[in-house]
Amino acid sequence: MRRTAIVIFLLVALAAAVAASLAFGAVKIPVGHVIDILLGKDAPGPEVRIVEVLRMPRTVEAMVVGAALGVAGALLQGSLGNPLASPDVIGVTGGAGFGAMLIILLYPESIHLLPVSALFFGLLAAGLVFIIGFSGSTGGGIGRVILAGIAIASLFSAATAALMAAYPDRVPSGIFFLVGGLTSTGWETLETVWPYFAVGGILTCFLIRPLDRLMLGDDVAASLGSKPRLIRLAAAAAAAILASAAAAVAGLLAFLGLVVPHVVRMAGGTNNHTFVIPVSALGGAVLLTAADTLARTLRAPIEMPVGPFLVILGVPLFLWLLRKAV
Amino acid sequence: MKFSIAPEPKNGLPLALIAGLTAVILIAISFAGLAQSASAAPIKGNKIVALTPFSANAMGTMGVMPRAVGEVLNTSDTAASFVPAIESGIRGRRIDQLLLTHPNGPNLEKLAKLNPKLVFTSPQWSKGTSAMQSLGIKVKKSEPITLGGIYSEFKKVAKVIGKQKAAKRYIAKTKAKVKKATAGIGARKRVMVILGVGRTPFAFLNNSWGGEIVKRSGGNLLTGGASNSSGFARISDEVVIAADPEVIIAVPHAIKNDIEGLIEYMKTNPAWQETTAVDNEDLYVSTDNSLLQAGVDPAKVIRTIRSQYLKNN
Repeated sequence: MRRTAIVIFLLVALAAAVAASLAFGAVKIPVGHVIDILLGKDAPGPEVRIVEVLRMPRTVEAMVVGAALGVAGALLQGSLGNPLASPDVIGVTGGAGFGAMLIILLYPESIHLLPVSALFFGLLAAGLVFIIGFSGSTGGGIGRVILAGIAIASLFSAATAALMAAYPDRVPSGIFFLVGGLTSTGWETLETVWPYFAVGGILTCFLIRPLDRLMLGDDVAASLGSKPRLIRLAAAAAAAILASAAAAVAGLLAFLGLVVPHVVRMAGGTNNHTFVIPVSALGGAVLLTAADTLARTLRAPIEMPVGPFLVILGVPLFLWLLRKAV
Repeated sequence: MKFSIAPEPKNGLPLALIAGLTAVILIAISFAGLAQSASAAPIKGNKIVALTPFSANAMGTMGVMPRAVGEVLNTSDTAASFVPAIESGIRGRRIDQLLLTHPNGPNLEKLAKLNPKLVFTSPQWSKGTSAMQSLGIKVKKSEPITLGGIYSEFKKVAKVIGKQKAAKRYIAKTKAKVKKATAGIGARKRVMVILGVGRTPFAFLNNSWGGEIVKRSGGNLLTGGASNSSGFARISDEVVIAADPEVIIAVPHAIKNDIEGLIEYMKTNPAWQETTAVDNEDLYVSTDNSLLQAGVDPAKVIRTIRSQYLKNN
């Protein structure tokens, strides 16, 4: 009953966040007019372009990226059995940040390659973590994977810092990527990265039950016919794909992947992945859509990065649930 | 019993002591004043480091060479952004270049080795100001962002180097040149000036140097009513669609070779695709610093903007 109520609440919240995201922006468009535009009843003009070219793709991006990060966090926390696991831990954030800054600072003429570069280096960093973390006789251990992740993330962060020190006057262009924020790019970026969201999503569907078995402990899971090392690797790979694709669209928003699954677990009172993973997707979508709407309307026409708004919305809820749980 | 807060003088000696002490204090104060007025005496060029291009160019225009100028890391030929006197000093190695990094400014050891008395700096390097002062160096900010600011900053630099008459001549001449450069402006085009690359560029606002100079050139600067103390803000693309700029000028910190690629990329921006600026191919990339930092020849910048970007001559 409690979990059903949470799902219903999140669905209503998502509908409200989407409606607000479509209705509000720097340019005031009456709600009735927005509905007409969405129903295709309005003649072409600036307001139609604002809703169709800017607000609609951005709202969809916010939902997809939020859902992907929520799922990525749930996959990593479940597979690594570590409450602090997030896309940071497997190096994705550091790698994607480096990929983006490489283009912005060193090759500004190839700026159209930014999402591809962020995606590539995010996956490369995760790949390196997996090679180090899962190879050898002791490979696949949680501690080894996490330490490998910290080392690779530090490597990419250092490389990013070196680039920023070398090209100080170009750094402002990269700030929005580093602090995380959606942009009004139309459908362009989603068209490039949607296959990665799809692959990550499909892989996740197959991992829900194995992750539940993994929660019983490696030995018990093995006795039930599961392969803990393989499950861990597949879950981390799915999380890496989802988080890299999310970083390609919206920059570095690792906080969302860390907090949302915790909130879902505490609110639902269960660690069951059949509940945690889909509801984390829903929760991530709600949080990012709402935060992005605030970020672009609160000081309109100035757009602010979405990262701080995620924290403002997410942390109080997280702390309240944490206090209740304690 | 008799109470007193000070012993009563029994003879003239304590009175003489008090008078003597007072005289010593007064003389000391007078010398301190003299010392202060001595420090207001002109500082020689080789005792000045001009980190901002404006201060270096102002000194060069008045015939005084600074000991060193600033150089931002990894930017194309910085010597070319100075007036000829400073440029030749840099190329002839008579003027040193100090690399500037965010947010501290110059390397303090290299600065200390030059032993300057005064550094002209910019607010963006303000984090390094206290460290410079702890080295016994006087620090003055010199980075104007308005046309009026150029004249007052020029006067300030002139006072430091003792060239007030030259400053007067420069100001009168520059005002006349600006008046001529801004003459005959008809209809004001809607202009958006952006800083940076990518899908999240910052717009130049009214309180930026680029914003000021575009307005002086006859542009109607599009900011969506945004204001920000830094002079730059990321404004919503919705505002761009609604305001429909006729000219877009990008200042991407890029080099000349990047211009074509950047223009092609900007044309694909979904918010800009159907603007008048893109339709009419009035989308420009400025690779020098003339819109970012004030120079000593604002009339030249205005003429360039009018003839190359706004086409309102």
